[in-house]
Amino acid sequence: MGKISYMRLKGSQNLRLRLLLSTLSSTPILIEDIRADATWPGLLSHEVSLLRLLEKVSDDCHVEINETGTKLKYKPGIVMGGRNLVHDCGVSRSIGYFLEPLIVLGLFGKKPLTIRLNGITNDSKDPSVDTFKSATLPMLKRFGVPPEGLELKIESRGVPPHGGGEIILSIPIVQDSLKAISWIDEGMVKRIRGISFSTRVSVQFENTMIHAARGILNHLLPDVYIFTDHKAGPQAGKSPGYGITLVAETTSGCFISADTAVSYASGKEDGMDDEENKELSPPEDVGEQITSMLLGEIEQGGVVDSTHQGLLFLLCALCPQDVSKVRVGQLVPHGIEVLRHIRDFLGVKFVIKPDPSTMTVILKCVGCGLKNLSRKIS
Amino acid sequence: LAERTASRKNVNLMQLVYGKSASESSNEKEDISEKEESEDDEFFKPKGEGNKKSKEGIDDGNVDIEDCSKFIHYASEKDWRSEDLIESIRNRFVTGDWSKAALRGQVSDV
Repeated sequence: MGKISYMRLKGSQNLRLRLLLSTLSSTPILIEDIRADATWPGLLSHEVSLLRLLEKVSDDCHVEINETGTKLKYKPGIVMGGRNLVHDCGVSRSIGYFLEPLIVLGLFGKKPLTIRLNGITNDSKDPSVDTFKSATLPMLKRFGVPPEGLELKIESRGVPPHGGGEIILSIPIVQDSLKAISWIDEGMVKRIRGISFSTRVSVQFENTMIHAARGILNHLLPDVYIFTDHKAGPQAGKSPGYGITLVAETTSGCFISADTAVSYASGKEDGMDDEENKELSPPEDVGEQITSMLLGEIEQGGVVDSTHQGLLFLLCALCPQDVSKVRVGQLVPHGIEVLRHIRDFLGVKFVIKPDPSTMTVILKCVGCGLKNLSRKIS
Repeated sequence: LAERTASRKNVNLMQLVYGKSASESSNEKEDISEKEESEDDEFFKPKGEGNKKSKEGIDDGNVDIEDCSKFIHYASEKDWRSEDLIESIRNRFVTGDWSKAALRGQVSDV
């Protein structure tokens, strides 16, 4: 085996992004100092799980972790895709954590990807599976991803701490490359849709959340409809909880989303401060809080919400060598990190211009022209 | 003047994201020399150094920051029940003033 030159990186930050970009650009990476000073040093269980997932969907990829897990060598392989894959995402992070890199990776595979993911479907940290279904997937279509075979099916739900949810994700491959876009018209909000869910608690929680959300939204728009999704029995996962996802659709076809979920203490805190977390925030507050978040996102005036900024930039950078132009609200820390990593891995630099009249930011870039090479080799 | 402030802001945003450009290389050199100086001291204070570093890391929020794309806005702390706030974003909805919204679109096209 010849010597491989690794791109050297430090720290545990943005691991998903680094692995994703490394795979897309076929750059081997070496990450050191992963939580070297922390009480629990090294990679966490969800990060290891993510690496396993990468091994599952790609061929000839090579992962090497040292004993303490503070050093990681990753040599990307070819993304294969394939049907009937299964992956257990564990319960330290929700399925959304895994979906974010996976949906981009799947596009550049050899075969369309169909995978069954088990774990937590909704929590307050990562975008919920409902957000992916109603806001993220439509966004992919804008970039020329074929709508056939682009699907996310929620089989059962699960909230922290014990999860038990299950989804099936289908991602088609792009035949050649993505399509550059000019996407600066954010439009006006024409309808708001939402979905609330409850697992192992009374359906009344949902009704209260919806009532609170509608109470604010109906001042602005009559076209508000929030579905309920009460799960019972095995479909409700292993833990009690409830939550809500709201998506605003604009006249120009943008989807602005906000979501949250409430459940008993998640992950490690379990057992330690069980007593403190006994109190869940009441459904009324949850409804109002999520509505405020949605309105806050709408006020920003971007074509995507702040959660999707990173994905938007990434897709723009992966476009063929053509100019893409997008409008977003205030840049969020994650979006900025994505921009920096795009420059490091793909060599794409954005031109960032504020638009003072609308308090938004316009970004322009020329894509790196990533072709779906896995497909051509076949 | 407005144009100038706009352009300055523009530079700032680019700098914010991509850091200082090559024209600031003189600064970098200074940094390097500082580092050289500190190297001599390094032998004596590995522990303190480590602490300092980790503290800086937290300040910058970048070394071991949690990998999470969701960002909780301060805007969410606004009380959206109040009428004034509702009115302030009414034009972002189809129930608002279409001509004003169109104007917004036009400005952005330029």
